[in-house]
Amino acid sequence: MKYAVAVKQVPGTADISVDSGGNLIRSAGTSVLDLYCEYALRRILAVRAPEDEVTVFTMGPGHASEALRRCLCLGADRAFLISDASFAGSDTWATSLVLSEFIRRFLPDADLIVFGRTASDGGTGQVPSETAGLLSVQQFCYVDDFYVEDGNINVTQDYGAFVRSCRVPAGSVIAFAGTDPCGTLMSISDRISGMRKPLTKISREDLGIPPGSAGIKGSKTAVIGTHAVEIRRKNRKVAAGPSGAADIILKELEAFR
Amino acid sequence: MSGCEGGNCQTCQDSDRLPPGMLERYSLDVPVSSGIMVVVPVNASELPDYAAELISAASGLTDGRVYTVIFGNQDMKELYPYIFGYGTDTLYHVRGKAIGSYTPEVWADALSQISERIKPAAILIPSDKTGREFAPRLAARLKSGLTADCTGLSSDGSVLRMIRPAFSGTLMAEIECSGFPQIVTVRPGTFPRPEKRRASGTVIYWPYEGDSCKEITAETPKTDAASDIREAKVLIAIGAGVRSRSSVDDAEKLASRIPGAMVCCSRAIAERGWMPASRQVGMSGAAVKPELYIAFGISGSVQHLAGMSSSARIIAVNTDPSAPIHSCADLSILSDATQTLKELLERVS
Repeated sequence: MKYAVAVKQVPGTADISVDSGGNLIRSAGTSVLDLYCEYALRRILAVRAPEDEVTVFTMGPGHASEALRRCLCLGADRAFLISDASFAGSDTWATSLVLSEFIRRFLPDADLIVFGRTASDGGTGQVPSETAGLLSVQQFCYVDDFYVEDGNINVTQDYGAFVRSCRVPAGSVIAFAGTDPCGTLMSISDRISGMRKPLTKISREDLGIPPGSAGIKGSKTAVIGTHAVEIRRKNRKVAAGPSGAADIILKELEAFR
Repeated sequence: MSGCEGGNCQTCQDSDRLPPGMLERYSLDVPVSSGIMVVVPVNASELPDYAAELISAASGLTDGRVYTVIFGNQDMKELYPYIFGYGTDTLYHVRGKAIGSYTPEVWADALSQISERIKPAAILIPSDKTGREFAPRLAARLKSGLTADCTGLSSDGSVLRMIRPAFSGTLMAEIECSGFPQIVTVRPGTFPRPEKRRASGTVIYWPYEGDSCKEITAETPKTDAASDIREAKVLIAIGAGVRSRSSVDDAEKLASRIPGAMVCCSRAIAERGWMPASRQVGMSGAAVKPELYIAFGISGSVQHLAGMSSSARIIAVNTDPSAPIHSCADLSILSDATQTLKELLERVS
């Protein structure tokens, strides 16, 4: 079985802050492998057989190779960094275009293309479905349960109102539902072997995508402005024991009882 | 521009360069794209509130017609008067053997066929789990821009300005699409719920000839799906500051004694498995605006605040005076959440 896992490097969310003009302040050197992506990779690594191949890929700037290196340390076999200055600013359309072209050219025989639920920075969750659409393959989002039996991939999807189990044909896209709340640390030996595995850089020319077809120029949507979220209220604080607190809340609830 | 093979003007190679004499590049789609297509993706005997909100809002966002698309069998006819009552001009009812059960592949395929016929300026799709799954596939088919999970929309009659939270809700981004149709998934509750009205209009049956490619081996409805925390008047919210699982039972018992009250939780509680994901409030859960929101032991991450800060009145019970939740609470009670819940339950019992 050949697994292709898409990952993303995102700003460490704890370091995100907004200045008075509503612009994002990003501290240098705080980028991390997205938790949802790491979770997806770990789910695949947990079921992989020794003969299976797990490839990770990301589209991003040069330093996104750190995220790929972490994936290799976790147990992935090889990695591709799809990187080109003209890819910067890509929206979900342009990103999906690049990823689908990459899969077509470099991983055409992947049995399963795997994504996390969403990336924690953009948070759209659109890229898995959009990539599946561009590749004209089946898509399976919100995957909870995942297992391989007699060479067949089976998933269970949680749609909220209903739960659906499906047989997944080769070449499909799946996106996992959540993250691992506990997480686990990698060992020193994982790190050393991860540093030795291949990590290949792919440029725009390698994909045959014309200049201006991806990045800001190739994107179909544009951010025309941002504003900071203001949710401050006039707050009154009262210190109270459980009994006093209950008094106050019961008074507030009177209107509803 | 014919007959210039091997020339060196580069116009044909460089998509940004205009031919001599042309001052501006025009989008040929603009004159033909008009109106808004609203997609109601569920097979349901009753029209969901979010569908009514979207149809009603569409009339105010376009100079053109409002098209609504529904999927399903003959039973859906009972919904027609309401769909027109909320402001639909033309209703497309997609039917076919592949329509019996939702699949993103079939839904996106059928919608792309209808969109190519009516050429709407915009397509509005509810941002629920199904909508967010098939919308990107539709965007890929139509080679269109897609903006996810919008919480605000305005329009000049055809071009939409979309507002959506970014970076876990710390920023609101304003977005425009560069072409047509502009595809948007809209978070339920973004627009006011219209009053129920009945009307009539044109219905077009759209036969879908394709087959469903999905090999579905089992499908079961989820039992907790019936109760929707977005409907509650009072929400008793439990967060990581609550130390014991029995507090969830206390909160449930308390809610059962207050008409219109329900229990919801922060992500920490859902991930501990103490409450189902359907009760989670925040960026990755539901957006709620009850009349009263009482947060027990919730610190108030930006992700959580994004889902509940529109509540009419907010009370925070938290021993930590510096917890971010206080900045968006009307009243903060610096008290132990677990003990306060216990005390409250005793008082109402």
